Amino acid sequence: MTSAAPLPAAGSSTAPPDPNLVRIRDLVYQVAGIFHPDNKLRLLQDRCGRRMKELKIKTFEEYFECLTVRSMRQSELTALLNEITIGETCFFRNQQQLDALRRIVIPNLLREKSKLPQRRLRIWSAGCSTGEEPYTLRILQMEETDSQLQNWTVEILATDLNERSLAHAKAGIYGDYSTRNLTAWQRQKYFLQVGSQLRVNPTLSANIHFSRLNLTDDPRMSLMKNIDIIFCCNVLIYFDLDSKRRVIQHFFNNLLPWGYLFLGNAESLFGVSEAFDLVHLPGASAYVKRRCNVEEAPQ
Amino acid sequence: MRIAPVSQGILRQRLEGLNQIPTIPAVLAPLLHYLEKPVEQIDVQKVTDFLAQDKSLAAQCLRMANSPLFGHWKKVESLRAAVLSLGFHHVSDIAMSCGMLNMFPGNKTGLDPAVFWEHALGCALVCRRLARDIHLPDPGKAYLAGLLHDLGIIVNLWVLPEEFRGVFEIAKAGGVPLHEAEQDSLGFTHCDSGRLLAENWGLPSDLIHVIAYHHSPEESPENAELVALVHVADLLCRMSGLNHGYAELRQWNLFEDQGFALLAKNFASMKQLDWARLTFELDSYLDEVHVLVRSIYRA
Repeated sequence: MTSAAPLPAAGSSTAPPDPNLVRIRDLVYQVAGIFHPDNKLRLLQDRCGRRMKELKIKTFEEYFECLTVRSMRQSELTALLNEITIGETCFFRNQQQLDALRRIVIPNLLREKSKLPQRRLRIWSAGCSTGEEPYTLRILQMEETDSQLQNWTVEILATDLNERSLAHAKAGIYGDYSTRNLTAWQRQKYFLQVGSQLRVNPTLSANIHFSRLNLTDDPRMSLMKNIDIIFCCNVLIYFDLDSKRRVIQHFFNNLLPWGYLFLGNAESLFGVSEAFDLVHLPGASAYVKRRCNVEEAPQ
Repeated sequence: MRIAPVSQGILRQRLEGLNQIPTIPAVLAPLLHYLEKPVEQIDVQKVTDFLAQDKSLAAQCLRMANSPLFGHWKKVESLRAAVLSLGFHHVSDIAMSCGMLNMFPGNKTGLDPAVFWEHALGCALVCRRLARDIHLPDPGKAYLAGLLHDLGIIVNLWVLPEEFRGVFEIAKAGGVPLHEAEQDSLGFTHCDSGRLLAENWGLPSDLIHVIAYHHSPEESPENAELVALVHVADLLCRMSGLNHGYAELRQWNLFEDQGFALLAKNFASMKQLDWARLTFELDSYLDEVHVLVRSIYRA
């Protein structure tokens, strides 16, 4: 495969990025599929910096060694990925992705499905963590109930491997950090104030089905059927290549022919699967099932 | 709002009767011609002298030469240093970009011409990058083609400022591609008006084809690869923040695109390129292009 030549580095424009930081960037992309463009390298630098402080390491060169050749490499990579995704969970985390969902993806799906007798959409938040994502999707649905989603039933499935995260999700109580992107109107309409925190309103949790699921559990994964949209943000990054491929193959089977797969911001399926086409939406991208003949169907 | 169609004949008349459209700065034609010589015959001092003839162009080139978009990190303070450190190819890219910038009228139409220039420059950078990735023979030509592809927008801004503003507002409100709104409202597109000016200037036929067919690469009688390359780069930019100042409400599947298919026929690497990463990297272009525009255009 052709590897992409790096862009001239961006950012403050005063100095080129440390080549070892660029190597770490490329390693993270290769292993986890999550990419830091040059203008986000500063973010990666900060996240590496935290780990380096912990390990009492001074240079990116030495840290790159920790991630690649030293015996600690597996655990350190996981620790770095945790740093990278920390604070990623909040309501309305990726506004451009949600705008694309509302303005392009849902209208496309409704057009496809309007020929069918049942007016139902199934959206799956795979790796829902503490629940901000499925509740965000529910808010978005409720805001469209009087317009494009009128007379449509939207079922939201929310799964995660972690019991504690799921318990948090079901309780639906959130602090300032998680709720920072909510408007005053959304806070008032969909939440109840509980001390300094916000608790989701019962109407918000209706029609969201929370359950524990391991994405590599083949028998249970094959039971997930007729899904229109899957959100799987910053989950696959922790899986090795074989497991990623298995999960993506399941997603392919779980989705209806016109189904969409959304990954995290700057997360890619490159080198993992060719069963999906990358599609560009305004300001965001997604994956759709590749249209192919039965003989060509990916195995 | 519906704008009375203006026939191609009227457009040509208006174009011919208009003395205001600035041509490429006088110094550029001989400079570009000179830079076509074999490298060993090019004299650094002579190139510097060419640029120094036009003080404003020289100052803009110097600002641009200091941008990381052109891969330079050490501050260059003289034209001679810029020419020496950037190399002749980059000098011609930069000179041409500044020339293009100077062709935009002020914002007498109420539209911000910087937006169109940002798109042109972004598209030029993506063209150069793609050309290198797929090993198209002349990345410099690809850059130039990307830069000039929307020449017709400049024509429209000069010749039909009021009508064009109307069309732009329609396109923006509906989230539709500009050329579709132009066709509906004016009866022609910037491809048609750009072609008239390009022919008028006596540009080489490959550039004329890019300008005339970048929205319909399959119709180009020749130079299909270059036209298709610009078509793909243009779409990538329009789906990202390097658009025409508004998001087009559509979904674009690269693998089903005719321009993509045209390129993939002759360049197998098209299908193996990491398009997701390239899409994420556009973010960096976006930041740098904005920085450049702030430093040059609004200075």
